[in-house]
Amino acid sequence: MANAELRREIDRALDNNTLRGALGKFAREYPVARDKAYTGYDFEALREQVKEYKSYSRDHLDEVVDEFERKMVLRGVKVFRAPDGNAANEYVKKVAAANNVKKVIKSKSMASEEIFMNEALREAGMEVQETDLGEFIIALNDEHPSHMVLPAIHLTKEQVADLFTDYTNSKNAPVIAELVKTARSVMRAKFLEADMGISGANIAVAETGTLVMISNEGNARLTSTLPRVHIYIVGLEKFIKNFREISPILKTLPRNGTGQNITTYVSMFSGPTEAYLTDEEKGPKEFHVIILDNGRRALSKNEDFREMFQCVRCAACLNVCPAFQFLGGHVFGGHAYTGGIGTLLTAFLTSKERGRDIQNLCLQCGRCSEVCAGKLDIHGMILKLRNNYGDEGMPFVHKFILDVVSNRRLFHSMLRVASVGQLPVSRGKPTIRHLPLFLSGMTEGRSLPTIAPRPFRDIFPQIAQNVSAPKGVAALYTGCLLDFVYPGIAESVVKTLNQAGYRVALPETQSCCGAPANYMGDRQNARKAAELNIRGLEAEKYDYIVSACPTCTHALREYPELLGTGDKDKDKDLVARAETLAAKTFDFSKLLHMLGGVPGSGNGAPLRVTYHDSCHMKRTMRVFEEQREIISGQTGVELVEMKDCDQCCGFAGSYSIKYPEVSGPILEMKINNILATGAEAVLVDCPGCMMQIRGGLDARDIGIPVKHTAELLAERN
Amino acid sequence: MEKNGLYEQFAARVAAVNAECYRAADTKEMLALITAALEKRQAAKVAVFPSPLITEAGLPDALAQSGYEVFIDDLRRKIPQATVGITETQWGIAELGTMAQYAPEVDNRLCSTLVDTHIALLKHSAILPELDDALAAIASGGALPNYVGFITGPSRSSDIERVLTVGVHGPKELVIIVVDEGGR
Repeated sequence: MANAELRREIDRALDNNTLRGALGKFAREYPVARDKAYTGYDFEALREQVKEYKSYSRDHLDEVVDEFERKMVLRGVKVFRAPDGNAANEYVKKVAAANNVKKVIKSKSMASEEIFMNEALREAGMEVQETDLGEFIIALNDEHPSHMVLPAIHLTKEQVADLFTDYTNSKNAPVIAELVKTARSVMRAKFLEADMGISGANIAVAETGTLVMISNEGNARLTSTLPRVHIYIVGLEKFIKNFREISPILKTLPRNGTGQNITTYVSMFSGPTEAYLTDEEKGPKEFHVIILDNGRRALSKNEDFREMFQCVRCAACLNVCPAFQFLGGHVFGGHAYTGGIGTLLTAFLTSKERGRDIQNLCLQCGRCSEVCAGKLDIHGMILKLRNNYGDEGMPFVHKFILDVVSNRRLFHSMLRVASVGQLPVSRGKPTIRHLPLFLSGMTEGRSLPTIAPRPFRDIFPQIAQNVSAPKGVAALYTGCLLDFVYPGIAESVVKTLNQAGYRVALPETQSCCGAPANYMGDRQNARKAAELNIRGLEAEKYDYIVSACPTCTHALREYPELLGTGDKDKDKDLVARAETLAAKTFDFSKLLHMLGGVPGSGNGAPLRVTYHDSCHMKRTMRVFEEQREIISGQTGVELVEMKDCDQCCGFAGSYSIKYPEVSGPILEMKINNILATGAEAVLVDCPGCMMQIRGGLDARDIGIPVKHTAELLAERN
Repeated sequence: MEKNGLYEQFAARVAAVNAECYRAADTKEMLALITAALEKRQAAKVAVFPSPLITEAGLPDALAQSGYEVFIDDLRRKIPQATVGITETQWGIAELGTMAQYAPEVDNRLCSTLVDTHIALLKHSAILPELDDALAAIASGGALPNYVGFITGPSRSSDIERVLTVGVHGPKELVIIVVDEGGR
């Protein structure tokens, strides 16, 4: 079973301290270097340009590719359009045979990795040498790249020294500068001997018929300078129309990739450059360009995924991904493409099956989309991919759980039964290791809360709401966690909104928001949940719908889109009601801020707090200042920001259940960042984050309470 | 921006990418700076790609007279022996410390790539403020030369343990000499 194999890969990656050390170090240093490189530049404006230019070419693919080909052919370049990898490899073999090529040198080309070109050429009897240092190293270790920009990031200098010792038959010390010297001298001979060069390209410009290559080591320049025959391979997604359009790509790709203002070399080829055809004779080289389709043209027309054409392959999405940081690209990737964008590329270009497995590793935290140079909604597309796979069928257990969750009465009665049946407290604290249903099978390194003895729906009728001359009525959408696990948060929401002058109603027929189903790829049950809530909440009757769970809030606000993807005609009335609901739905802190905050500034007790941003609250709903203003407005409360306050806590809904081994280390980083602040309490706006962080602190016997913003306010006012 | 300010910005950016930058008031000073750079590296064999600036300055002859073995042709055979290559580049970009070279000729690329030290000559008047200025300048001549290369510092890699190492397949050192024509 593919999933079991993926699990073994995960375990191996997590046991690999080298990988975790290297990736962890990079993950810490990268954001700093990136920020520094962008000083004085407007990243948002730049990526908007990248998006505009690259999407134009995608939507006018024939126009730009034809123009490129015309310009290239006029200068004597031979252009071949390869429908798939096999055709591309056959073309290379044909050119090699016609030119009596025995030795091939390559500078980095992901497209050639995609189509197993090295293997094909070796089978045909050629010697193929990768010249990029990282690619050279992994080739010696018989591996595929673990990172799109840093292929050998998973290996130590000691391992590299051993590989070089074996290869050169002389002792190589584990000293990086010396190892680089070895590579330089080994490769120098290869460059001089090669008959043919093969390179990838970062950009293809139609207007001028130019291929642009970005590199640091100088191998790309030598590969394209020395051999008498050269083949470039470029995917259909690399095209832009006008020469000046390379500007925003040159400004973002190196900054996003490695934190460099620009790479050491940018090479632009617009025709057959001069080469030594023999030792004496100089002349224009035999110059070929392969334009690779291999599924790309279909992708350009796929409404849900065509944004992938905007990608510039900077790998920033890998560099900021919390899961990638622990797993690396051999697990979180296919044989060529890795990480967030790599998941999508793998699914569409190399292996649908591998894509099915690795899309599960995405936490949906959204950091990738935030840094993406092409302004791709990477995590959004991964969720669509997940849903598409889900539509094709899910494992039985997941399906069963999600069927139960979307059946309000069944789910709620099972939770009630579970609350009675659960084991007594552990270590004197009200926590247990296992919860039923979708909360079951949870992780080490974290304890879990009990199900509340009385759900909030039973408590609510007893709450006296003394609001004289109410300004309006807000309907509370509790969501599963507030209703059954943290009713205290819901009580605090009611109390605080009452103080702000609003009465709170609790529509009884509300049900699970559908997010668990949606994030597990079960769009059918997600739609069912949406329908139940639209009818159950009756948003038409209220001024606002308020939720104290950002994931629920986001889910409710997304109902029009979720239902819009179904049968539009049939759901017309429902979609209209979904739009009404979506427009009135706000998260607690956002709504409170809109209503002018709490009237009081609290009891003044001194308290040092730190705040954890939930992924949905920060990146999806862009609410991060409002709650800070509210919290800091409380007299005596000192807010100390933690490092990476908006980095995912690792909960990610069902993720922490499916992949506790990945979620655990992510939680550990969060705990360490919390401890470093010296805070006496951690504030959150998300009950999922609360469960995760509280569980992590508790398992480590750390007595720092985790509170919802609503709870803090209710306690002090 | 002031022309002088451009040089300062360019030089600062060059220093930040592990390269050296000098300024020569005229070609005589340029020759002196080149000789000093060669002496510092104890170079004996030097590959030169003739360009207008290099030819006008009589660089190959001057180096030969100073006792250097100068390669200007048959470079496929000879360049592996040379430790230093000297070429002229066409544009400077102050924003980045980058030079743009028009190098469709194979010897030009060999002199600037397959050597330990690349000495690049750049006219002061060719320093442009920003990347976009350089792209516009490159595109303004109609069809692009078959090869245009940007060079920013010596070759580098961080492929082993993410440690920056300078001098991989291309030059280990880059020395830029910016030449004022007709005085400053």
